Amino acid sequence: MNLFSIALRNLQRRKARMAFLVIGLLIGVATVVSLFSMSASMREDAQHKMENFGANILVTPTRNDLALNYGGMVLGGVTTQTSDLIEADLVNLDTIPNARNIAMVAPKIIGVAVVADTKVLIMGVDPKVEFRLKRWWTLDGDAINSQQDVVVGSQVAKTFNLSVGGAIDVDQKTYRVAGIIQPTGSQDDDLILVSLPVAQTMLGKEGKLSFVEVAALCGDCPVDDMVKQISAALPVAQVSAIQQVVKSRLHALEQFETFSLAVSIIVLFIGSMVVFVTMMGSVNERCHEIGIFRALGFRKHHIIRLIMTEAVMVSLIAGLCGYLIGIAAATALLPWVADDHAHVLLDPALAIGSVLLAIVIGAVATIYPALHASRLDPADALRNL
Amino acid sequence: MAFIELDQLSKSYATDAGQVTALSETVLQVEEGSFLGVMGPSGSGKSTLLTLLGGLAEPTSGRMLIDDIDVYALGDEKRADFRREYIGFVFQAYNLIPYLTAIENVMLPLAVTRFSAVRQAELATGALNRVGLGHRIDHLPNQLSGGEQERVAIARALVNHPPLILADEPTGSLDSVTSTEIMNLFTQLNRDGQTIIMVTHNTGIEHYFNRIVELKDGAIATDTTLKSEPVAAVG
Repeated sequence: MNLFSIALRNLQRRKARMAFLVIGLLIGVATVVSLFSMSASMREDAQHKMENFGANILVTPTRNDLALNYGGMVLGGVTTQTSDLIEADLVNLDTIPNARNIAMVAPKIIGVAVVADTKVLIMGVDPKVEFRLKRWWTLDGDAINSQQDVVVGSQVAKTFNLSVGGAIDVDQKTYRVAGIIQPTGSQDDDLILVSLPVAQTMLGKEGKLSFVEVAALCGDCPVDDMVKQISAALPVAQVSAIQQVVKSRLHALEQFETFSLAVSIIVLFIGSMVVFVTMMGSVNERCHEIGIFRALGFRKHHIIRLIMTEAVMVSLIAGLCGYLIGIAAATALLPWVADDHAHVLLDPALAIGSVLLAIVIGAVATIYPALHASRLDPADALRNL
Repeated sequence: MAFIELDQLSKSYATDAGQVTALSETVLQVEEGSFLGVMGPSGSGKSTLLTLLGGLAEPTSGRMLIDDIDVYALGDEKRADFRREYIGFVFQAYNLIPYLTAIENVMLPLAVTRFSAVRQAELATGALNRVGLGHRIDHLPNQLSGGEQERVAIARALVNHPPLILADEPTGSLDSVTSTEIMNLFTQLNRDGQTIIMVTHNTGIEHYFNRIVELKDGAIATDTTLKSEPVAAVG
């Protein structure tokens, strides 16, 4: 018989009260776990997208121009100097310190060609890379498999009434329409894609490139550093990081995390109040019992330890159950707030942290009831002595 | 020197009606091995005297020595230790902890000592055997009769061999047969050298005591020595 066994026996007897305490804390812990799990998964998902979907570094020729467009209205530009990139220089990318972080290099050349007396934007690409890089493209038909194949944007197909397998004359040369990109709502809808060598020949720019998109794995690499490294490797190029989309998504995530923190604090505060009120009620209900303990020689700190032990035991159960329920809730809710492939991460630190959080909250909320119990006058508690 | 010495011990309570003196400048000596009965009408100060003897309430004035220890000069925590080591309580309503079995209730005073679990169980079993309840050690209080609960309460008071047992109306809620059994048990303990102070209304058990103090209006009205030696058990 010791304080732990007395506390355990009391909890076993007062199952309903214990369940109420556990639920009070459990809801708080489960809320924290589910919100933090979801935000961690969403952050992981955002990073995953950043790493695997689309370019995040753009390499363009050095230029001194001022763009004159805003909100989709193109008014022209003032270009003072333009030069093309040299395709052969791309091997320099393999020499940068963070070369292992480069996932894909997608060289491109763009120019204007004529189709049925209409000027059309044509883009030469490396088909093996381009269609992996633009994973949001949905293609009817096939990708470019030969130098006779083209893939056209949806607007081009509509304008020239093209279908998959049909023919198109570009600059008086006939090509097969291998595939049509479904509407993207972007400039891709107005493009004709051909293989890079074909476009270079067509535009008279053999061995030259208009720009290069680079996909870098950024889970463990600083993009800004890579931009500097690529700038050094390609001195004639202008290198910039495409961070706007990622940053806006991360900003939204930060807002979600702030919201999660606020909700967690409120729910945990309510949980701690539930513990406080329940433990106070329990102490008041057990005045007589505490008086017996004191009469039998329990010191004040024995009473404090007895009450605190009960609170810690309840909190431990609430922490464990809260973590499991929180993970289950996050798993159920995540598909509603993130893409299908996002999954809840089982983080041991979160598991340990949630249990410790429950114990700390339970213990802190019980300090006053425990002190109150220890200060009960044994003579008052045992009125009938 | 007497085992217990009350020196001008007083206790007053503040009430809405003003200050009420429950015990007034009481002087009393109790020798070791006594079986003292404290009697008197309701409101005479019996319970206050027992509370003060148990170290459970601060006197308004005066001094109390038990085994030459000035009990109320001790701090609150030291007084808790004193209660655990010196006093065994037998409460009026048994005051067993309802969610603990008989043996666990008896082990309670040992729960905050350094005795191992095995030693605690040995001592508690010994105490329960001594009160004739060795066969019901695993029963909860609500599975025991009133007399059995009283025996568990006595075993709990005895388990750590305190020099003094304070009993408050131990026969108050028992039938006459069970009351006799319980009083015989106390008598046997007294014959074994145990000092016992018992508060009671029950004049039918006066003959068990070797001394009776009668209180009236918070003061000792009579102090009668019945027997000089511990009494023999009455069958």
